[in-house]
Amino acid sequence: MKLSCSQVDLNKGLAIVGRAVATRTTLPITNNILLTADQSRLKLAATNLEIAITYWLGAKVEEEGAITIPARLLTDFVNSLPNEQINLTLSPRTRTLELKCARFEARINGEEAEEFPPIPSIEEGVATTIDPEALRLAIAQVVFAAATEETRPVLTGVHCQFYGDTLTLAAADGFRLAVHKAPLAQPVAEMTEVIIPARTLNELQRLIGDEEKPVEITINPNGSQVLFRLKDVEMASQLIQGAFPNYTQLIPQSYVTRAEIGLSDFLKATRTASIFAREGSAIVRLQITPGEELAPGKVVLSARAEEVGDNVGEVDAMVEGEEAKIAFNNKFLADVLSVLREDRVILETTNPSSPGLIRPVGTDNYVHVVMPMFVQW
Amino acid sequence: MQYGVELLDKRIAIPHNVLEHMYDKARKIFHVDLDAFFASVEQVLNPELKGKPVVIGGEPRSRGVVCSASYEARAYRLCAGMPLMKAYRLCPNAIFLNGSFSRYRDASARIMVILADFTPYMEPRGIDEAYLDLTGFEPLYGSAQETALRIKQIIKNKTRLTASIGIGNSKLVAKIASALSKPNGILEVAHGEERSFLAPLPVAKLPCVGPKTEQSLKTMGITTIGELANFPAPLLKNSLGALGEVIHRYAMGIDERRVEPPQPPKSISRETTFIKDTLDYPFLKATLCYLSERVGAELRRNGRSARCVVLKLRYADFYTITRHYTLKEATNADWVIFDTARELLEKALHQRRQQVRLIGVGVSSLINDGRQFSFWDSSIERQGCLDEIIDRIRSRYGFTALQRGQTLLLKEVLPTENGDYVLKAPSLSR
Repeated sequence: MKLSCSQVDLNKGLAIVGRAVATRTTLPITNNILLTADQSRLKLAATNLEIAITYWLGAKVEEEGAITIPARLLTDFVNSLPNEQINLTLSPRTRTLELKCARFEARINGEEAEEFPPIPSIEEGVATTIDPEALRLAIAQVVFAAATEETRPVLTGVHCQFYGDTLTLAAADGFRLAVHKAPLAQPVAEMTEVIIPARTLNELQRLIGDEEKPVEITINPNGSQVLFRLKDVEMASQLIQGAFPNYTQLIPQSYVTRAEIGLSDFLKATRTASIFAREGSAIVRLQITPGEELAPGKVVLSARAEEVGDNVGEVDAMVEGEEAKIAFNNKFLADVLSVLREDRVILETTNPSSPGLIRPVGTDNYVHVVMPMFVQW
Repeated sequence: MQYGVELLDKRIAIPHNVLEHMYDKARKIFHVDLDAFFASVEQVLNPELKGKPVVIGGEPRSRGVVCSASYEARAYRLCAGMPLMKAYRLCPNAIFLNGSFSRYRDASARIMVILADFTPYMEPRGIDEAYLDLTGFEPLYGSAQETALRIKQIIKNKTRLTASIGIGNSKLVAKIASALSKPNGILEVAHGEERSFLAPLPVAKLPCVGPKTEQSLKTMGITTIGELANFPAPLLKNSLGALGEVIHRYAMGIDERRVEPPQPPKSISRETTFIKDTLDYPFLKATLCYLSERVGAELRRNGRSARCVVLKLRYADFYTITRHYTLKEATNADWVIFDTARELLEKALHQRRQQVRLIGVGVSSLINDGRQFSFWDSSIERQGCLDEIIDRIRSRYGFTALQRGQTLLLKEVLPTENGDYVLKAPSLSR
């Protein structure tokens, strides 16, 4: 293997695939990055056996070949180099990769490319494409609701339903549920449901960055892996096996009180209340009061930390139905409000121990259901 | 306190500032202290004990101390806190009783309700004492002496128990006065005479002065409160630190502490001393489970949850440890409290494997509410429902009506009364 490429490209590529390098592993070679030179490109690949990221960068390849190199060493070294041409030369016999850039050079001992776990390449199965911006929004509005604890593995993933030209993402951690419907750029032939690990989607969101080309999504025929293809990057991921709970029945179909609130006011009041809530038991109390003849309706948010202090904030709201009281975990409320883009949101409640529903005004592609906290008023 | 809730309902909302103007001038603080409370309750409930020396605490030859002794027993120089063995030597004729905490608690609750009728500013201290702030109540009840007499009469009529009442312009003076007036007395210290009242008394009468402080004061030549009051404050502060300042002010009759109506508890705990020191793990675990259930029930009764679980162990050599664990989420579930305490116990015994004399479990960092409802994870909710139902069954039929396998072996060890286990040394405090 003998090639040259720019330090900027290589540095960028290493940073991207570095996200998939295993950290704690029983398979030491997964601490490495696989470098493969073919035709006019250098391919970088890394995997932690759950996800695999592959990145291509342009290079002048004089001699094809492949090697795996410890990720940390290579990344740190390349990152410290000046912004110039890098020459990589592999001595196959000693498995040593020599890097030369300006007046720096290094030799790093690698391991055989054949030892590296295979990077999944999914060629057939259910395939579709989606606008990157739509996908990014969908992930942002859903992924935070996935469980972080492993007690029920399916809940650490995001349920994805591909149906016609709609992708429905849903995540729930037992206390809240987020459901987002995004349009597919290309309809799928058959309805497909998979559970993608939340971690995969977090990484995908990072990769999408300012990508402009539609993202290709392919699910292998036996539903065990998914592949996302972007311009220069591919990410393959294992899928979580198991039955995702039927979440549609968790979405309240009616309400007793409905408040329409300005998003930024609501978020600000929630954050203010959180300052006190997080000192105590994380509770934000909401008191929703309908308007009277001249006075507008309002939502009063209050929080207190025992023996520390308390605060009360008020936001205007268009309230329909009865007066209501409900308490939420401050983080859950702030989480959902901070991923919404619309100017106004609707909060629907039934009683202090039934789920509250939050959705943006002006679009019906998102619903969020959050379980309240038990409080004594 | 059992009666806390009733009291809160009875309390009238009088803002402090209404009384403020007269507050520091001449407060009328009453200290009501029941005479030989536990022993007197036994004597009232069993007239055969009347006029006889009665000692509450346990069998005369058993471990443990005198919890309470009737005045007939005190004639033999018996006093609370004395080992039972010694008490037996002093007065072998005394009637030794195990006592029943629930009886005392009920009697106490009735008395506290009587006291709460007099003023919203009522602060129970333990089970048999209370401070009342009756400043400015003269137009309503007459002079302090008359009021005290009336309080004593009502207590006597309704419970057949006697109380002693001390009256002064501070908690300190009222408390010392009530102690001096015992039994069945009233002692009022007139405003302005606090210092001369205290002066001849030994320093040990002051709060915060224990045997150690008394000793160090003695080395400075101070034995009476009067001598303490006349001692230069800076010197006291030098040798005793902040405590020196406090007791110097007390000695001069200055005590600005207010009568604080009962606040919700900051922690809840239950502990017991074993009849015999033990290292029998299943037995320790069973006791711990029982105590955890008691703590859990108390938490739920108060409608509270706890973030912190505390284990207390006293080894045979009196070496005492407490171990804390802070939970991620507040709980009021028996099994969470027990599980946490059990882990702490295992760790503690791993570090120091010795015979255990006392075991206790407690919870602190209490919060009023904060349980997060969930969509499906009903294991916590189901457990909560179960605990609630168990509480209801036990409140009617006693603790032993429904038992976990864990605590079953206590049945062979502990005596029961009305379906409740009788612990050797029940925790009298929270």
